Amino acid sequence: MGEPSVLRGDEGARQGDEDTTAATDLASLRTLLLGPEQQHLAALQTRLDDAKARAEDLGEVLPQALLRHAQDPHFTRALTPSIEKAITASVHRNPKPLADALFPVMGPAIRQAVSAGLAGMVESLNRTLEHSLSWRSIRWRLEAWRTGRSFGEILLVNTLVYRVEQVFLIDRRSGLLLQHVHAASVETQDADMVSGMLTAIRDFVQDSFRVREGDGLESLQVGELSVWIEPGPYAVVAAVIRGTAPREFRRTLQDTIEAVHLQFGEALESFNGDTAPFADARPALEGCLESQFRADERHPRTRGAWLVFAAITIALVVWAGLWYRDHRRWNHYLDVLRAQPGIVVVTTGRESGRHMVSGLRDPLAPDPQTLIAETELAPADVVGHWAPYQALDSALVLSRAIAVLRPPRGTTLTIENGVLVAAGTPPLAWVSEAAKTAPLISGVARLDVVRALEPAVRAAIGVIESRPVLFVRGSVEIADNSTSIASVLADVQQLNALAAASGRRFEVDIVGHTDAEGADDANVPLSLARARIVADAIRAESVPALTLAVRGVGSAEPADAGQSETSNQLNRRVDLRVRMDR
Amino acid sequence: MIQKKVCMLGGFAVGKTSLVARYVSSIFSEKYLSTVGVKVDKKPVSVDGRDVTLMIWDIYGQDDFQTVQHSQLRGMSGYLLVIDGTRRATLDTAMALQTLATEVVGDVPFVVLLNKSDLTSTWDIDDAGVFKMAERGWRVLRSSAKTGEGVEEAFEVLTRAMLVDAPAQR
Repeated sequence: MGEPSVLRGDEGARQGDEDTTAATDLASLRTLLLGPEQQHLAALQTRLDDAKARAEDLGEVLPQALLRHAQDPHFTRALTPSIEKAITASVHRNPKPLADALFPVMGPAIRQAVSAGLAGMVESLNRTLEHSLSWRSIRWRLEAWRTGRSFGEILLVNTLVYRVEQVFLIDRRSGLLLQHVHAASVETQDADMVSGMLTAIRDFVQDSFRVREGDGLESLQVGELSVWIEPGPYAVVAAVIRGTAPREFRRTLQDTIEAVHLQFGEALESFNGDTAPFADARPALEGCLESQFRADERHPRTRGAWLVFAAITIALVVWAGLWYRDHRRWNHYLDVLRAQPGIVVVTTGRESGRHMVSGLRDPLAPDPQTLIAETELAPADVVGHWAPYQALDSALVLSRAIAVLRPPRGTTLTIENGVLVAAGTPPLAWVSEAAKTAPLISGVARLDVVRALEPAVRAAIGVIESRPVLFVRGSVEIADNSTSIASVLADVQQLNALAAASGRRFEVDIVGHTDAEGADDANVPLSLARARIVADAIRAESVPALTLAVRGVGSAEPADAGQSETSNQLNRRVDLRVRMDR
Repeated sequence: MIQKKVCMLGGFAVGKTSLVARYVSSIFSEKYLSTVGVKVDKKPVSVDGRDVTLMIWDIYGQDDFQTVQHSQLRGMSGYLLVIDGTRRATLDTAMALQTLATEVVGDVPFVVLLNKSDLTSTWDIDDAGVFKMAERGWRVLRSSAKTGEGVEEAFEVLTRAMLVDAPAQR
């Protein structure tokens, strides 16, 4: 609407002065008609030209626009490069504001990461140690067991270089605690009171030694704990440190107290007991909760520990081996003893560090001490208590019999069911003596020499039967070429002695014979008479072991069937025939 | 959380420590008193619905009040001025200590305790003395650490006064 009138005004000016009045009128008219609009236009124009006003306008609508289009991806895309550039520029120029802004966020995040890492490290260290047999870990475990603290705690104490356990922010004048932070798992006393006492002690030191204003107690040392104090104009920061902190940590404390004063200067200055504002100082204080652990130096010690362990193991194995060997030898010895006739093991055990065995022993049994030699045991390591007794084991009985009877060379003794059996060629004299003594030996019923004497008996019988007594023809007179009666008697005596010695009896048939000449009724009595002569001679001797039978058979059983005088002479005889009884 | 530093002031053996002991259970041994000259205790109280933690500085009392270190008084929001009712001299000490306290921290609330009220037979403070204090507008209470009389009340009165006055310290 305004545009045509302006154009018309221009044309009017070019038409000259005549038109001036008309133009003025027109202007008046325009003003009259369009006055408010013109003013409005002018104001708009001014506003558009004025950068400041425009900025104000934009400032008013921009937040709304941003809010309304927050979900619009175009907006985000459009803004991102500028914001990125702005942040980069800001960091380049002065990183502090951004750092300060991010500090409350970054501090906890970093601490969380660090503490998680630390916890992991301690955990893995713990695990490694748990599975390793280092001398140190055994010592620490002992310490933990002794002091009743957890192994982790002992581990911490022993591997810790330093750890800032608590940080106090204290109002310098009143000693009131503004803020207190402590490391996880640290037991703390009442921080308010500690804060007060710390301040009192600081004051006390300052007053007592009349130091310059501004100087003051900077650290306290109590055992493995130390307290580092860093004063600011209105507040002091105090750190409780376990172990030895590096000197650089002082710098950290200084930075912290400076930062706190920067951030809370006003609140500190006007502090009147309300500690609430200082909750925001926690991140700064928590930044001081540093710690450092010793590098793992386990390996060399572990080697030593392994050596010790190996040595102990070897010693144990050797000891066990020796013990087993000794045990085996001992059992073997006991077996030998038990197998030994004449030895009865009753108890075994140990006596003043030595093996002990007690029991019964036949004096004829081997000496238990000499049996040790077979078992490789040291005789000095064995004590034996033996009571004497007589064993009835056949071996012992035999030994006893041999000891008593002393069989001569060529004669052996055995025992069967309590009967001592002789074999070999025992002399008759020994046999008769031994037969009497044998039953007196305990475990021996009698001495059996039948078998032993059998050859002698047979020999004796052979001799007796092969030597007939010859007679003169038709007479009871013994012929010149005959075996003498004395000789016959000696043979019979020998047989009697053998029979007596072996406890046997023999029957001796004494048979008289004639030659074929003459009649039977004469010959039979003659033969009997001849037999009686021999029998009487034998009877005159003492032959209790022999039974004599006498008979005459005439010529019925000739020794030689011939008819010559030589044959007849051989037939005129008395034979002795021995019959073995049983 | 509101915290207030409160001092126990008074001459030698007026019963400050006993009053504190009556009021709180301490974690620190009394030997701090004679070595460091101060023992700090803590007492949470609730006055008119407001929670306040009193940090009570029990200051080793000597009749020569000048040995009281200014540093120990600094930052206190109030104090109990303890007088032994059986010893007139402790009143003078208290007067001097009050002056000293005012010099160091300015006008802060305090409560005067006429202690050992259980020993009335040997009472040594006359009405004139009490009047003199009342004249100055001092809050005066009778107390006995032995019977517990006036102890809770004194701390409560002081706390209330501190919360009302709450003057800027610096």
